[in-house]
Amino acid sequence: MYNKEFQKIFEYAKGKADETEILLSVGTSFSVKINEQNVESFNYADSKGIGVRVIVKGKVGYAYTENFDEDTLNIIVDNAIENAKYSESDDVVFLDKYPENEQKPNVFSEELAKVDVKEKIRLAKALEKYAKAADKRIFNVPYAVYGDGKNFSRLANSKGLDRSDTQNYAYAYVGTLAQENNDKRMGMEFLITRDFNKFDAKKLAESSAKKSTDLLNGQPAVSGKHPVVFNNEMMATMLSTFSSVFNAKLVQEGKSLLKGKMGERVANDCVTIVDDDLRADGFSSSAFDSEGYPTEKTILVENGILKSYLHNTITARKDKVQSTGNGARGYKGTLGISTSNFLIEPGKHNVEELISKHDKIIEIVSLQGMHSGANPISGDFSLGAQGFLWENGIRKHSIKPFTVSGNFLQMMIDVEAIADNFKFDMSSNGASAVLVKELNISG
Amino acid sequence: MLKENIIKKVLDKALANGADFAELFVENTFNSSIVFNDDKTQNNIVGNDYGAGIRVFYGQTAIYAYTNDLSEKALLDAADAVSKAAKSSNNIAAIDLIKKDIKNIHPILIPNNTISKKDKIDFIRKINQASRNYSDDISQVDIRFLEKDQHVMIANSEGLMVEDNRNYSRVYVSSIASNGTEKQVGGEGPGRFAGYEFFNSIDPAALGKETARVAVTMLHADYAPSGKLPVIINNGFGGVIFHEACGHSLETTSVARGASVFAGKLGEQIAYKGLTAVDDGTLPNEWGSENIDDEGMKTQKTILIENGILKSYMVDRMGSLKTGYDRTGNGRRQSFKFAPASRMRNTYIANGQDKFEDMIGSIDNGIYAAKMGGGSVSPGTGDFNFAVAEGYLIINGKIAEPVRGATLIGNGADALLKVSMISDNMEMAQGMCGSVSGSIPTNVGQPAIKINEIIIGGRK
Repeated sequence: MYNKEFQKIFEYAKGKADETEILLSVGTSFSVKINEQNVESFNYADSKGIGVRVIVKGKVGYAYTENFDEDTLNIIVDNAIENAKYSESDDVVFLDKYPENEQKPNVFSEELAKVDVKEKIRLAKALEKYAKAADKRIFNVPYAVYGDGKNFSRLANSKGLDRSDTQNYAYAYVGTLAQENNDKRMGMEFLITRDFNKFDAKKLAESSAKKSTDLLNGQPAVSGKHPVVFNNEMMATMLSTFSSVFNAKLVQEGKSLLKGKMGERVANDCVTIVDDDLRADGFSSSAFDSEGYPTEKTILVENGILKSYLHNTITARKDKVQSTGNGARGYKGTLGISTSNFLIEPGKHNVEELISKHDKIIEIVSLQGMHSGANPISGDFSLGAQGFLWENGIRKHSIKPFTVSGNFLQMMIDVEAIADNFKFDMSSNGASAVLVKELNISG
Repeated sequence: MLKENIIKKVLDKALANGADFAELFVENTFNSSIVFNDDKTQNNIVGNDYGAGIRVFYGQTAIYAYTNDLSEKALLDAADAVSKAAKSSNNIAAIDLIKKDIKNIHPILIPNNTISKKDKIDFIRKINQASRNYSDDISQVDIRFLEKDQHVMIANSEGLMVEDNRNYSRVYVSSIASNGTEKQVGGEGPGRFAGYEFFNSIDPAALGKETARVAVTMLHADYAPSGKLPVIINNGFGGVIFHEACGHSLETTSVARGASVFAGKLGEQIAYKGLTAVDDGTLPNEWGSENIDDEGMKTQKTILIENGILKSYMVDRMGSLKTGYDRTGNGRRQSFKFAPASRMRNTYIANGQDKFEDMIGSIDNGIYAAKMGGGSVSPGTGDFNFAVAEGYLIINGKIAEPVRGATLIGNGADALLKVSMISDNMEMAQGMCGSVSGSIPTNVGQPAIKINEIIIGGRK
């Protein structure tokens, strides 16, 4: 796709830039939102963009455009070269050869692409209908949404690399507000899949409704240190918030708590954390990364010991290791490092066992303020939370909004047990419920 | 940007199946950023965002499509797609577009593209140097220098046709202080709806030094206490409390669905009687200002709360259709990739009459939040949280030791009624607000305020 544009850019850049890389992204997406059994909004998107990365005398420069006119394509090459002149980045090179990946995750479903729009609307309407019917305390369904999309990306460089990939996905989510005795609580449930038949509107809606009604009529938290269980969704949220501690660029710049800790204990024995681009059930799966480098399953922490950081080819060269295939950029951005399917491996306990391990446990099922109350550089967090008090394995009552605070690294050392109820969130972070020895609770 | 006859054809096509309303939003935006860290200019990127969004209404159903392709054929295809998504028997007559000139109330004095990249990098280096000179504890300084020049054209089936330019300039600085085992961050992100005159108005050394001061102060601070305490929230970015605790719940996006805690409360007392709050798009060259909103309506100053009484919501076109309230020029969006929604502009609590010293003096045991970090809210429940970036204990009416790591949580409806003192030192600060229609520039602001009791999530 877009061969003509690729050729033009390479031809124009030849002789001006030492090396040129072109990243193309083309996508379509659709979503429908329901209110009172009517379509509140339909959204259709048809988008494309080209980003170029050039190397001039070892310095890198970037430019992008969403306008594919010939003049504009030339201008972005000139702009990228101009930008490279002012860069003081370290010597950047493209590899002479980019290895093939023997594994290719299947990330496209022909069947999904054929689903009729009427089916999609029916599903979204059913989410709202079942949510309202689930419990008489549900007074509002602010979200009843279905969406899907398809993305094509192509990456080529002047060393002869040329790789492309097509992915699609579909998702549905429902949000419910429950009210009783002037107390209002919110619940959400979602599913992301490539198999339309997997959507069970009733199940999703009833789960969301239950999440909101369960939290009603909370008692105040008792401030102090308590054993805490993060449920699977919230553990995934914690993990993704602090995922940048594994970013090799931040490690090299002294901005990660894991600097200098390779081979050392950074978590309890029972903790194994991996980044796995190749998982069949992941929605960030791909055979190669944004530099065209093959991806892999990278073990970051194995039984509590730090084994690897996440690398692109630039950070890998500096550390004299192989790239882990985590080079990341969109056409509008510059090369960085990101996680793919990022997860903590499930443990052996069922959730009932986990929650019975102390006389009193606070279970956290909702967190707020991840972008402000958590600091990935210091590891410190102080977050808004909601959840339940458990006593001797029995759920006593819900707790009024409270705060939970601590330090991420200390928390990983203090993990006492991991459950077996693994789940991915909407952003490809996965976890099971996790029991932590103690954290500060304030209410 | 587009020929008038093509705009007309696209709108006609969008109305072809009986829509009540059709709108075309065309955008051509120039973005530039310089990323500086580790003492080096790391990445420079410039780019061009380019495309159009078409929106039609059938009753209270909104249909939106966007494309990066501004050819006549692609636009007509998109218009055809939105028109076919629903059907009604309406028959709107052919449109007469009337090109409307708008008055630019936010003049740009020095376009950013007239200044060399070298000068910009020199400016960045001065910030970096001043931060590092402040203390040996400073281990890293990250700086992002951002320029955006957005050109938009909005036309609709009511005959409106209007164009506008929005220029944004901003610099983000974050300094990291480290003692080997611990790290703390101090950050500032001043910005304006302006050209390079904004950067000329900033003292780069003072900016670098201020971020370093906060990072070093927090590095040597103990953890904040836990529990319910009185708090003084300082001016400037402290206004994030109103933004989260109240502002989002006054947007018709949540009010129209009845999902807001403030739905149906116009004319009622919802806040401390001395509290007046305003959302104002007309303030010259402020970060959240505009000439017109992204639905083409002239911006205005909207009194939200006057002496504690709820006076107005923030209303976009669809919100107006659903609630019956007049539009307030709050229809905003990040880009053509988003349908507009009711969003904040420069939102602030107006000056009161209390003196800052008296406010501190009124507390025996509490917290002074000198600088706030970000926050968030769930408009349906009103539960909000926000982080204290630079905090101090208040002991016996005096500001005492610095404390770190505190998040404040509460409920919007409740917290506004627990405000008991408002100072006279209103200042605004810049933020990017993320919501349904994307990430947009907004100012938050307030004088220092006292809240009688709020949950503080510290570690002691």
